[in-house]
Amino acid sequence: MEHFTGKFNLEELVYKYRYPLGAVFLLLLLGLPYLGLSQYVMRIIIMIGIYTMLALGLNILTGYTGLVSLGHSGFFAIGAYVTAILMLKLQIHFIPAAFIAMIITGICGLLLGLPTLRLTGTYLSIVTLGFAEIVKMIIMNWEPVTNGTLGLRNIPRPSFFGIDLTLANHGMYYFMLILLFLITFLCIAIKKSKLGRALHAIKENELAASMMGIYTARYKILAFILSAVITGLAGGYYATLVSYIDHNSFTFDVSILILSIVILGGMGTIRGMFFGSILLIVFPEIARPLMEWRFVVYGLVLIFMMRFRPQGLLGWRTTLPFQVPVNAQERQKRSGKHGISRS
Amino acid sequence: MILQQAFNGLALGMAYALIAVGYSLVFGILRLVNFSHGSVYAFGAHMVILFVSYHFGLAPAIILGVVLTGLLGILIDKMALSPLRKKNSPGISSLITTIGISYIIQNLLMMAFGSEKKTFPELFPSKMITIAGAQVSSMQIVMFIASVILLLVLTLLVKFTKIGLAMRSVEQSEKIASLMGINTNFIIAFTFFLGGASAAIASILISGYYQIVYPTMGFVVGLKAFAAAVLGGIGLFHGSIVGGLVIGVAEAIAASLFGSAYRDSVAFIILILVLVIRPAGLFGKKGIEKV
Amino acid sequence: MKKIVSLFLVLVVSISLLSGCASTKESSQDGPLKIAVAFPMTGDNAEYGKSFLLAAQIKVDEWNENGGVLGREVELVSYDDKNSGDEAASIAQKIVSDPEIIGVLGHFASGVSMVAAPTYNENKYIEISNTASHPDYSSIGDYIFRNNSVISSEFGVIEDVLVNDLKLSKVGVVAIKTDWGTTAGDIAADIFGNNPSLTLVGREDVLEGSDDYSLAIAKLKEAGAEAVIGVGMYSLLAPLAKQYKAVDPEIQVIGLSNAYAQQLIELGGEAAEGIIFPVSFYADSTDPAVRKFVDTYTEEFGSEPSALAAQAYDSIGILLEAVKQNGSTDRESLRDTLNAISYPGITGETQFDEIGDASKEYTKLVVKDGKFIRFSDVSGK
Repeated sequence: MEHFTGKFNLEELVYKYRYPLGAVFLLLLLGLPYLGLSQYVMRIIIMIGIYTMLALGLNILTGYTGLVSLGHSGFFAIGAYVTAILMLKLQIHFIPAAFIAMIITGICGLLLGLPTLRLTGTYLSIVTLGFAEIVKMIIMNWEPVTNGTLGLRNIPRPSFFGIDLTLANHGMYYFMLILLFLITFLCIAIKKSKLGRALHAIKENELAASMMGIYTARYKILAFILSAVITGLAGGYYATLVSYIDHNSFTFDVSILILSIVILGGMGTIRGMFFGSILLIVFPEIARPLMEWRFVVYGLVLIFMMRFRPQGLLGWRTTLPFQVPVNAQERQKRSGKHGISRS
Repeated sequence: MILQQAFNGLALGMAYALIAVGYSLVFGILRLVNFSHGSVYAFGAHMVILFVSYHFGLAPAIILGVVLTGLLGILIDKMALSPLRKKNSPGISSLITTIGISYIIQNLLMMAFGSEKKTFPELFPSKMITIAGAQVSSMQIVMFIASVILLLVLTLLVKFTKIGLAMRSVEQSEKIASLMGINTNFIIAFTFFLGGASAAIASILISGYYQIVYPTMGFVVGLKAFAAAVLGGIGLFHGSIVGGLVIGVAEAIAASLFGSAYRDSVAFIILILVLVIRPAGLFGKKGIEKV
Repeated sequence: MKKIVSLFLVLVVSISLLSGCASTKESSQDGPLKIAVAFPMTGDNAEYGKSFLLAAQIKVDEWNENGGVLGREVELVSYDDKNSGDEAASIAQKIVSDPEIIGVLGHFASGVSMVAAPTYNENKYIEISNTASHPDYSSIGDYIFRNNSVISSEFGVIEDVLVNDLKLSKVGVVAIKTDWGTTAGDIAADIFGNNPSLTLVGREDVLEGSDDYSLAIAKLKEAGAEAVIGVGMYSLLAPLAKQYKAVDPEIQVIGLSNAYAQQLIELGGEAAEGIIFPVSFYADSTDPAVRKFVDTYTEEFGSEPSALAAQAYDSIGILLEAVKQNGSTDRESLRDTLNAISYPGITGETQFDEIGDASKEYTKLVVKDGKFIRFSDVSGK
């Protein structure tokens, strides 16, 4: 109980035990289907997985680079629709279909990223919002392809080696887990790479970053593309999971929910995306009597987080070694008993 | 037909312009995109029907509605935005905060009033007037005159009064303004009051025309009005009016050429084009800060 | 302090997740018989969900007063699908994991119903929707029923009104851009296009969230429409009538039964006068069964029930009657009983055809002096 004798520090706790914590988390995830959970609970867990993917995607843009997108439902929709249309009309397998969907969302990300050459901050956010609305409008009106407001039905589930993945045989769950791991590792890799440091530099101070020789425009567009691709993949998975999509599945509320997860969990962190989506997806399920207050609570989350903890519940001014080189003095402090003292 | 659609477009645009003025006002002084403007707009109309249902009479209900909505503007600032300014948070924090506020207001309205569409009292009997073969409602003309008056009053207030001078100095630098002996807290509160009141005036005029009120009424219109404000050069009152009219007419053209289903995307396409090609808007000066 | 709060939140989440795991399935034969009611109870369409739940509850209360069904009390379990496919899918999972639920009344939008329907069908849970109107909805499975008017037959009545009663030929259609509106608009275009004495002069799809129809109206007026059909709820029909009559007082406005609600008159005011539409349920009917429902409903809700609410009331009635006739809650035989039943409800004699669609009889209503009255009383037919 030594942690409670001194100043309690969540960061130190998580950091110190990150490997055991990670291992426990992983084992829990792998074993989940064998705990005898009902299909309903499994479904919620899969939804948490999808929103974690979405949040990880938005995180590259908002968390790493500091560009706030209010239009990720647009990428989500494109990913879902392209995958669904390819699977339904051309009978393509899920993997190539999702791959093409990722390429197309990537191109859309590139196009949407172009305005970043001229815009920052609020203006950029508004452009992304407009983008999502236009995507929705196209879905509603391009009837020969998207089936308009009637939506696409009977989207097949992915199958591997002749086995259809379903909720009942836990195939969809493990498939989600694989995609989630891939995306998580991609995010960790980005964060640790030169790209990640460049994005971080842009977030902290764009002018200084360009002075350091970072071609900021190129990196920002790259962040847009990566973010869009991940969101598109999540969209493709979502389409096969629910097997029915229409324009109502991709509203402004979805964009805001993804953003709330990123903000609540902690912008720029990876653990925060998992934590944030667990909180925000589970909350409405356990708070059935509070149903009407759901959106009010989302609103309050946004306001309170911005005011009191803009770095998110599990976010802290990072001291993780791969981001900012730790000098000897700080290293000294970390080895001390009571954790890192921050100014 | 073309003339008729042009008039319809102008009338639509007038509604956007009325709302856009509120965006411009708050942005012009505080460089803040107030995303909650749309739901504040819905709040104004709901307050009026609430007071009307308590038999206050239409005129007192309107005055009370405008004042209360103005006070709501101040409340939003004091509760959520002013702490952010004190902490020097980035502009995007305020945007996210105003999105949160927008959710809260909209859903509280839904809980209090229900989600169904309700009738708004007719402000005065409306007649159709024929101008050069096109039919225009007298209410639309009143809306036009009202927005021009609102524009003039706000412009005069900001340009030629002492409080307007103070507002402009706060825009330049809140710190220096306060050093000059200006009560900046009061000035900012006053700006938010005006922003809220203008939203209420807009919602009363527009609801008076369509006679429909419901909690989500401000969402789509609010976004289009924002597009209008950006098009004209956000922060400029005359820019908002022209921007609103342009978007209204563009919608009319789109509806005539492609069908009504396409009309809603026009505003967003214009918004994106303007932001990409000329972020300062039609009348804005170059070099305006894009944050 | 903040860290303790966040740690606390972590705890809450993990406990709540685990408590979800702990629920076990138990089935009993003497507990109450459950029927799920799944509609949007929050959000834009909450008014409908709340109204249907009340209508369903009134029917259940009637049965419980008479001793329930098969000696068991009937209980409604209400779910909020937020009118979202996602939510409906997870609710469907939740419903089918409760063995005491025999059937579901829901969901509101066709699209949402169609997401949930395969789950119900797989698990042999009966789903009756009082609102779904997508043509493919009821053919999803044997357990999927629709107690709503089929749009094509409604347009048949409208066709009759236009050709025989009003003798108008040029028709314009304004349809709301939802799954329902698009389908209905297509059917209207098809029916009117194939009738030699009618001309479809224009069809405009309008989006939800916009109350201005002036642009669509100007186009239809230019095309010379004599009658305009508003495909939407009262919230479309009332402003449409108002705005159209402002530019063309002679226009004949026609609606569908879904628009039959007291709010149509409240919102439309004078412009609502003369609107004609077919309904299968008429609240001012002198039928004592109708009166009983309308009075109880109006007392609780504050306004008169819509046609859709009446269909919700009848749907519960049909389901309970089927359980009674079947004599057990065995799902397969219950489905067969439901297919065979002919139920005299307040929305007329209801019978399901082989794919699960209800056939209905229609009364033509017209708005006169702020009231809905039978069209035959006005025209003298």
